Amino acid sequence: MLKAELLQKSFGNGRAHINVLRNLTLEVDAGELTLISGPSGCGKSTLLSILSGLMYADAGRVIALGEDLAKLNERQIERFRLQHTGFVFQGFNLFPALTALEQVALPLSYLGFATARANARAMEALDEVGLGSRAGLRPDALSGGEKQRVAIARAIAKEPALLFADEPTSSLDAASGQIVIDTLHRIARQHDTTVLCVSHDPRLNTYAERVLTMEDGRILSERRATVPLEEISE
Amino acid sequence: MVALARKTLIYEWRRFLPAAVAIAFSGLLLLMQAALMLGIFGSAAVYVDQSGGDLWVGYPGTQSIELGRPIPRDSEMRLLMDADVRQVEPFQWIDADWRGPADRGGLSVFVSGIDAHANGLMYARVLDPSLRQRLLEPDSVIVDHADLPKLGMQVGDSAVINGHRIHLVGTGSGLRALGGINVLSSANTAHRLDNDHPNSGNVAYYVVKLANPSNAQVVAERLSAASGGRYAVWTREEFARRAVDYWMFGTGAGLGVLFLSAVVLIAGAVITSQTLMGAVAGSIREYATLRALGVSIAGLRAVVLEQAGWVGVCGLLAGLAVGTLALVLARSQDVPVELSMISVLLCSVLVLTIALVSGLLAVRSLRRADPATLMR
Repeated sequence: MLKAELLQKSFGNGRAHINVLRNLTLEVDAGELTLISGPSGCGKSTLLSILSGLMYADAGRVIALGEDLAKLNERQIERFRLQHTGFVFQGFNLFPALTALEQVALPLSYLGFATARANARAMEALDEVGLGSRAGLRPDALSGGEKQRVAIARAIAKEPALLFADEPTSSLDAASGQIVIDTLHRIARQHDTTVLCVSHDPRLNTYAERVLTMEDGRILSERRATVPLEEISE
Repeated sequence: MVALARKTLIYEWRRFLPAAVAIAFSGLLLLMQAALMLGIFGSAAVYVDQSGGDLWVGYPGTQSIELGRPIPRDSEMRLLMDADVRQVEPFQWIDADWRGPADRGGLSVFVSGIDAHANGLMYARVLDPSLRQRLLEPDSVIVDHADLPKLGMQVGDSAVINGHRIHLVGTGSGLRALGGINVLSSANTAHRLDNDHPNSGNVAYYVVKLANPSNAQVVAERLSAASGGRYAVWTREEFARRAVDYWMFGTGAGLGVLFLSAVVLIAGAVITSQTLMGAVAGSIREYATLRALGVSIAGLRAVVLEQAGWVGVCGLLAGLAVGTLALVLARSQDVPVELSMISVLLCSVLVLTIALVSGLLAVRSLRRADPATLMR
């Protein structure tokens, strides 16, 4: 589904030259929640940017849904993102003027959905994250956890094959964080979506099927969940 | 389509208010400037605009009415010989010295000597029959009521023009001319006031009424051709335009107005674009999120330009509303203001151009909506 081979990325020049990714190789499967954890500055956000097509690697390649991302130009990669990828960020990044329903319907309208169809799909997505009853509210009337779930609904409304989440729980309390991670996990299972989540929040480790630990631009270790996740969620 | 631009504009109206106010003031300034310019320079043609008649006959090459020179008296007969000419009326124009109340000193005035009979063409639009009747009394004059304070006069007072005592018998409105006080008298009174004895009796202009005004252009050309170069013939529109053009472009005043307009346009665009850029910066993370989700930069550009457009329209409407009030106020205070549909349209187009240019400047700050910066 999503494959990275020998990725290299560095920033800066001269003496301030930093190698962020050092020949990193990785494979992420569909239908499960993969977590990349590690201390801040270990390169996990850069990795996420490259895997999701927001940034080009210096060397190595990324194969996403059979496409070599390095071979796509700016416009093609934009098209790829529009059709296949969803994003959830630490900041919820919701437009203050729009209701939850409009936030979710907005990207769909750019995909060419007619208004009625976009609204129906947006409503489904909001129902899926448990916010159907809050569809008419603006961000200032929603709690932090609810805002993040609206952001998730916005990411999944177009039914992307790839869903990327960058520190989705960092600015949330424990209960809200758990709901958010449950939601991501359920999406991976029910829609067979490849969900890749980056976080340094240790609470998440127990909720992911697969945890990759990263340090200094490399994957240090990999661990599979021993307990079936359905039991934790129940 | 979710109306992101409009909903943000309404919800965060405080953020966009400075831009709309800047646009409104730009519009107001442009509008007032145009109105004043047309009002002030339009009064250069007050002699033509407030009078009847279809043709003006004067010294060849005369650029503005106060620059006229005497033309031969027999011109009147030559003009009357044309079959299309219905009426020919002399118009005497004298540059004179006014002495009013002792504390005022001397003033330079323009005396218009007109045919004060009821069917006279000069000032036919501003003098009612009873005022014309009063001008027929010897040594009587009329001025614009707005000039009274400058003259230190009341109706019924006396003053001295070129050493001759005259009586102020009434006031009119719409008589103010550019460059000096316009004093109306009968042709006979003007003749007595004229100290230029060798030329006394010569007139500066003839105003001609035609049987068929729609022929004016053709008749003007025919009469001009037959003049032997001793006088020239213009249609009233042509002559009014000559006067306005002379003042507007011949004196550098028009250039000053253009320069000021450019300053207004630039100031408006700078303030508006700064505000719009601020609004873009305030939503930059949301825009970056849309970029991450695959919305093209062109899609976001359209949002910013739409906002600029709405800000422009709202600002323009506010500017027009305030401008209308200001015009009404100016009129009530006898400030010379004049607006045509074309100048309002031109101002509106300029104002919307400011908004559009500002939008295009603000669009550039969308480049900072790089989704990779959202990862941390």
